Amino acid sequence: MTADLHASFLEATQTVFQLMLDLSDIHECPAETFFCDDEVDISIGVTGDLTGEIIYRFPRITSLNMVNIMSGMEVDSVDDFVTSAVSEIANIISGNVLTMLAGNNLNCDILPPAMQKPDDTREYAIHTACCVSTSAGDVCLDIRLNPAK
Amino acid sequence: MLWKDKYELGVPLIDAQHKELFQRVEAFLQTLRSSSSWEDKVKRVNETLEFMNGYVVEHFRAEEAYQKKIGYPGYELHKKIHTDMVNYVLQVSAEYERMGCNEQLMQQFAGKLLAWLINHVAAEDQHIAAFAIEKGVAGNDR
Repeated sequence: MTADLHASFLEATQTVFQLMLDLSDIHECPAETFFCDDEVDISIGVTGDLTGEIIYRFPRITSLNMVNIMSGMEVDSVDDFVTSAVSEIANIISGNVLTMLAGNNLNCDILPPAMQKPDDTREYAIHTACCVSTSAGDVCLDIRLNPAK
Repeated sequence: MLWKDKYELGVPLIDAQHKELFQRVEAFLQTLRSSSSWEDKVKRVNETLEFMNGYVVEHFRAEEAYQKKIGYPGYELHKKIHTDMVNYVLQVSAEYERMGCNEQLMQQFAGKLLAWLINHVAAEDQHIAAFAIEKGVAGNDR
């Protein structure tokens, strides 16, 4: 199941980045190579047949590049406008993954995006990272889910 | 420029409304993101917000009527997406009024609106165009 989820998140991220940001050079990169100490962390809670959260780790420069592409404006600091736009992108990617999962009889729902770091005190049966590299910067999706009992 | 030709559906009425919507959102963003003081921006921001409240509903109705006319199978799901967005806009407008024209709330609203609109028109609405072309009813907006 972990491989299927990983593939779904990768496909959804590529699709959304292509459609919304006109990015075509999207490549998966090893999670070990993703390093950032100045990032916008967006958590999307998951409920239903799978429970947990997806943490979207957008480096500051990636966040600004994404918003600049969408708005056509020069935005040079991460403020409420930027975090809200980036949160919506995380929401859209997650929504696309939900549609894919529903096609495999996994029915889940998502909670509104929240700016927060992952809860490292919890343990997850599915814990994987999906990282992509683009001309707008890198992004890492930290997937932390448990099948509902 | 926010609008891109690739967003066109090939349905003149809907395309014209989308272009109008993008122009208004672009003007809204330019005002909101300008370096002027909030006191200087707030009047134009309020005017745009008022326009958006009315125009978004009008556009969604027109688009839903077109979907119904061509027998689009995703009508109910698409209508729910529209309804959710209208409710969000109404909720933000009420909160904005209650908080006495709060700038932070407007910046958050603008960020979400920008990403939502691009995704909706670049992805969701394209399914309608694909269906219309497949059924040979593209351009049938009268």
